[in-house]
Amino acid sequence: MQDDRTYRNEQILNSLDGCERASVPDFFYTRLKARMEKEMVAPARRPLLRPAYVLAGLILILFINVAVVWMSGDQTEPATAGTETETSQQTLASEYSLNDNYLTYEMNAEK
Amino acid sequence: MTEYELIQGLRQGDENAFRFLVDTYQDRVYNTSLSIVQNAEDAEDVAQEVFIQVYRSIHSFKGEAKLSTWLYRIATTRSLDLLRTRKSKKRSGFIQRLFGDGNEPLYEIPDFNHPGVALDQKENAGKLFRAIAQLPENQKAAFALHKLEDLSYQEISEIMKTSVAAVESLMHRARQNLRKILEKETG
Repeated sequence: MQDDRTYRNEQILNSLDGCERASVPDFFYTRLKARMEKEMVAPARRPLLRPAYVLAGLILILFINVAVVWMSGDQTEPATAGTETETSQQTLASEYSLNDNYLTYEMNAEK
Repeated sequence: MTEYELIQGLRQGDENAFRFLVDTYQDRVYNTSLSIVQNAEDAEDVAQEVFIQVYRSIHSFKGEAKLSTWLYRIATTRSLDLLRTRKSKKRSGFIQRLFGDGNEPLYEIPDFNHPGVALDQKENAGKLFRAIAQLPENQKAAFALHKLEDLSYQEISEIMKTSVAAVESLMHRARQNLRKILEKETG
């Protein structure tokens, strides 16, 4: 029984021995030329240039822009920021005697 | 026309050279594709794509391999690509059936009969082709090229860019797998 099945399967395995090569259907060259001409007139679109991808890309860019504007709007500067900066500049100037020129100018003006 | 003259003609866009190329290799390309995709219309489509690719990329052909090897390689790659596309369509079809109204048919390959098979072998060959369709890609390609295009292991190794030993191993595994599949189906 097992031998029978093995024999049958071996016959199936060898059933392509001596198989002839299949030939192309008639007018293959004519159809090939027609397809080539058609493809030359209307070249295949690149997948990334499909309208769906382009639209999705534009929406993504728009979304990123809106998000950036939204996030930068949230960062409001504290009211005392300017005063603090001035104070620190004055401190720095006085520590390094950077106001001397201004004093000299004032003294000369008084004279 | 020698192979060198043919390649030069193709590079210059000579239509006679292209016609000669198609006339010379069309059956080999078509038969290779038919053996892998197991569908006449798809095989013709693939054969057309192979010649279009050759026409477009003949300038990149370095001549390291024979022209026929290059054509077989493109035909094999394109055929396997088509099988992959078919598989993914089948998968998406299954998902559509799950979420759709259930009326969409699943894309199934009908039984295939190779036109070159002798009449008394048709039934057995049909069973064998069904089993071949279940083989892994490389085994399927090697088996088709050897059995249906009658190519030597050396030629197949050049087409598949591998060693002769690797082709021997592929063929050995292909036969083992085919025996297993057949035992399951006939048992």
